[in-house]
Amino acid sequence: MNWLAVLTALAPESVLLGGIIVLIGAEIVAPRAQAALTLSLVTVAAAVVAASFLYASGYVATPFPGHYSIAPAGSLAKAIVLSLALPVLLLSRDDFSDDGQFHILVLSSLYGFCLLLSADSFLTLFLGLEIMALPVYVLVLLAFKRPESPEAALKYLILGGTATAMFLMGVSLLYGGSGTLAISAFSAGLRSADTMATAGVTLVLLAFFLKAAIVPFHAWAPDAYEGASIPVTAYMATIIKAGVLLAALRLFGTEVVSRPTVDLLAVLPLVSIVWGNLAAMRQTSFRRMIAYSSIAHAGYLFYAFLGDGDGRFQAVLFYLLAYGLMNLLAFASLPRGDDDATRDRLDHLKGLFQRNPFGALMIGMAMLSLAGIPPFPGFVAKFLIFKNVIAAGYTTYAVLGLVGSYLGIYFYLRVIQLMFMSPDAIATGRSGYSGAVAGASGICLLAVIAITVFPGWVMGRL
Amino acid sequence: MGDAMLLNLVLFLPVAGIALLVLVPARSEGAIRWVTFWVMVVQFAATVVLYVHYDAAVAGLQFETRIPWIPAWGVYYLIGLDGYNVLLVLLTAFLGPLVVAGSFSAITKDVKLFYAMVFLIQFAMLGTFVAQDLFVFYLFWETMLIPMFLIIGIWGGERRIYATIKFFLYTAFGSILMLAAVIYLVYSLQTTTGVTSFAFADLYRTELPLSVQLVLLSAFGLSFAIKVPIVPFHTWLPDAHVEAPTAGSVILAGVLLKMGTYGFMKLGFPLFPDATRYLAPLVMALAVVSIIYGACLALVQNDIKKIIAYSSISHLGYVMLGLISLDLIGIQGAIIQMVSHGLTAAGLFLLVGIIYERCHTRELAAYGGLAKILPVYAVFFMILTLASIGLPTTSGFTGEFLVLLGAFKAAWPLYVQGDTLPLVLAAGAVLGVVLGALYMLRFAQSFLFGKAKVPHEPVTDLNLREQLILAAIVAAVFALGLYPDEPLSKTELAARDFQQRVTSVAIPGGAR
Repeated sequence: MNWLAVLTALAPESVLLGGIIVLIGAEIVAPRAQAALTLSLVTVAAAVVAASFLYASGYVATPFPGHYSIAPAGSLAKAIVLSLALPVLLLSRDDFSDDGQFHILVLSSLYGFCLLLSADSFLTLFLGLEIMALPVYVLVLLAFKRPESPEAALKYLILGGTATAMFLMGVSLLYGGSGTLAISAFSAGLRSADTMATAGVTLVLLAFFLKAAIVPFHAWAPDAYEGASIPVTAYMATIIKAGVLLAALRLFGTEVVSRPTVDLLAVLPLVSIVWGNLAAMRQTSFRRMIAYSSIAHAGYLFYAFLGDGDGRFQAVLFYLLAYGLMNLLAFASLPRGDDDATRDRLDHLKGLFQRNPFGALMIGMAMLSLAGIPPFPGFVAKFLIFKNVIAAGYTTYAVLGLVGSYLGIYFYLRVIQLMFMSPDAIATGRSGYSGAVAGASGICLLAVIAITVFPGWVMGRL
Repeated sequence: MGDAMLLNLVLFLPVAGIALLVLVPARSEGAIRWVTFWVMVVQFAATVVLYVHYDAAVAGLQFETRIPWIPAWGVYYLIGLDGYNVLLVLLTAFLGPLVVAGSFSAITKDVKLFYAMVFLIQFAMLGTFVAQDLFVFYLFWETMLIPMFLIIGIWGGERRIYATIKFFLYTAFGSILMLAAVIYLVYSLQTTTGVTSFAFADLYRTELPLSVQLVLLSAFGLSFAIKVPIVPFHTWLPDAHVEAPTAGSVILAGVLLKMGTYGFMKLGFPLFPDATRYLAPLVMALAVVSIIYGACLALVQNDIKKIIAYSSISHLGYVMLGLISLDLIGIQGAIIQMVSHGLTAAGLFLLVGIIYERCHTRELAAYGGLAKILPVYAVFFMILTLASIGLPTTSGFTGEFLVLLGAFKAAWPLYVQGDTLPLVLAAGAVLGVVLGALYMLRFAQSFLFGKAKVPHEPVTDLNLREQLILAAIVAAVFALGLYPDEPLSKTELAARDFQQRVTSVAIPGGAR
């Protein structure tokens, strides 16, 4: 392929890279947050358009044979997850109004995300994962609004490094056994009874569990989510989670998982669902609660891998879309507070309906959807996953998972109870939203309504 | 097609109502109330047209709409009226404007949200009744929880948060297991027949071994039994009723509780006929236990709302008894009893709400001799009490009498064969009628008669608005009691259909 064809095939990545370079240049010449926000929004929107175009035209190409390939499914996933980044960027309007660092880091991370979706070899996948994760370690620290931030960033960095090491170790074992770096070595390892291959598969899987915060590798998540600022937490909860899951999906492909990997793949996520939902009940910080909720949701997402290979992509992507939108909607609708710590307190939501009915309704909807209560998209997403699990014959795991999800209903309801049923409103701070943040919730709301009313249409396209 | 559009109109009018409310400023509470009321009136009028046009001689769905919704799963937006739901839809639409009018003066906080939630629950309830696709049914079924959760939690009494969370968690637990059963059922249909469908009509054809049927019926049944509620799954109900605002109690007793019995009639029993026949003695026993236990508890309550709450448990026991008798008369009686209880319990809760609004206590001992102070109130109260007991010429009589007749008719042949249990249970249900008279008359006696006392003087009698609401309910109670033929003719084919599905389906490998 000539370089022009490569550039076309890598259109979303190229757009992002161009945006990053321009942003860095602008930052050196004249650091202005407003301009950086606009520029990054335009860049991501252009990348979404490029990815959608590649998807719509059914573009298939292999710019770097054996390492990098473009297929419609990957382009669609890029388009969907990149469009989730738009509200995240809008959310940053209030928290990062000094310079463009936030935007550069987010765009870099998104670049890594795009890489891993097209990776054909472990090398590219590794590059993608790391490029996606490294900026986030900085992002957690970036706001540095509270004493916990450095601790959170350090914890996240160390555990992220551990995951990287485990991933590399697993890959080495797979490489040693198969002699190839192609990601198909992973699915071959799933089929194989060879000890080295099984060990490699297990290590890689555990690395993903660590990155997705599956119990017992979850301890970093509550600290990181709480210590980061709201846009960064939203970014971690939606896009990083999506990236990790889609990377795992890339490895698993449509390979049917058999025993004993199935039990590893079901038991730890099941424990995550139960523990995440139980631990979320006693949280007093909104972001910590969302962190435990995300631990539970990572459990549901890995459940999707139990199902047969064909439905897996649809189930994971639909779930990520619904889950991401709900998190973003909730974060975008959080009322403003005097400082970050106040804003994060669950108590701060008391009587929110009186102060800000729209925000309370939005957060309420997000909570019900995260709890999986119909008619919201979270329900259809869960339904899709559990349908696949039951169809694959793992009825017991499905029932246990559903009962686990029942445990989560209480703490989501508690948020609604605080907002609607507690009269003692803390009448502090401004209650309105800035235009950018309102825009973020507007985008999310429209998308949520669309997938609530036309879930069949959305699924038909996944 | 034009007729089918009318049913869609009825279903989606509440959604349009919510959209209208969004446009009305939150401060103009009067406008919000009247908009809601008139939308509900239009909905009722349209439902009456549907009811009149419903052809009793045609079996199966009428006013059917079928639009592909999630094609990959075979999910259709499939709604329609049949003999199973036609009376319940009419009941729901009838109570709608009454609930709204009944809370004109009681609800003063967050009025806009309140009426939006009333619209939402009306939408969800109607949707549950008219849905003919299990996925759509489940969506509506679960959606009902959200507005009820808020109605009890925001406008309820002192322990409202405890009550509403208990209500939500109880009912959601049943739903979660039902969800697993739904998926399993659809998956079984897919593997055995190759058809991927959620339509009730297709699911009735699923062939399952008895062991699987038992598990699935338990999952569906638990969800429905919690909603009915059948003893021992009833403990959420008294709390929810006591803490709910009047409108919440009326909706809960009037329509929501019928969801459980409707679920058994439309889904639980016909989907798993072998398991139903296998478990029939157990269900029958639980129904009779509910009748007697509910009545006994109602007898000893000092909270006037709790008396009616426990009486609901007792009255819905009759519905279950009628259904599980699998006798045509019993089934017909069960359907009438559902409507009858919807009317009388709604009326009684309204009356309790009216006195609570004036006197701010629900303690039975605080009242006495209201007949002297509030004569009009006392007349309505007495009529509804007698209807609740089942005095002939009222709807309660039609329902309970037919249920008992059906239960005995079904029990007798079994007794001749040497199985005495059904006959004993049917006799127990008759005892329930006596207990019912006992607790309601005790209530009425100390409430209406004796030495006149009220905790909060002066008390005004019913105003015109309240009189009109109650007059409408009383008129319906007498209509159903004096002229039950008309509604019975509309449900007859459905009752036969139900009986035939549950009793005569011969499934390979099934029981008996």
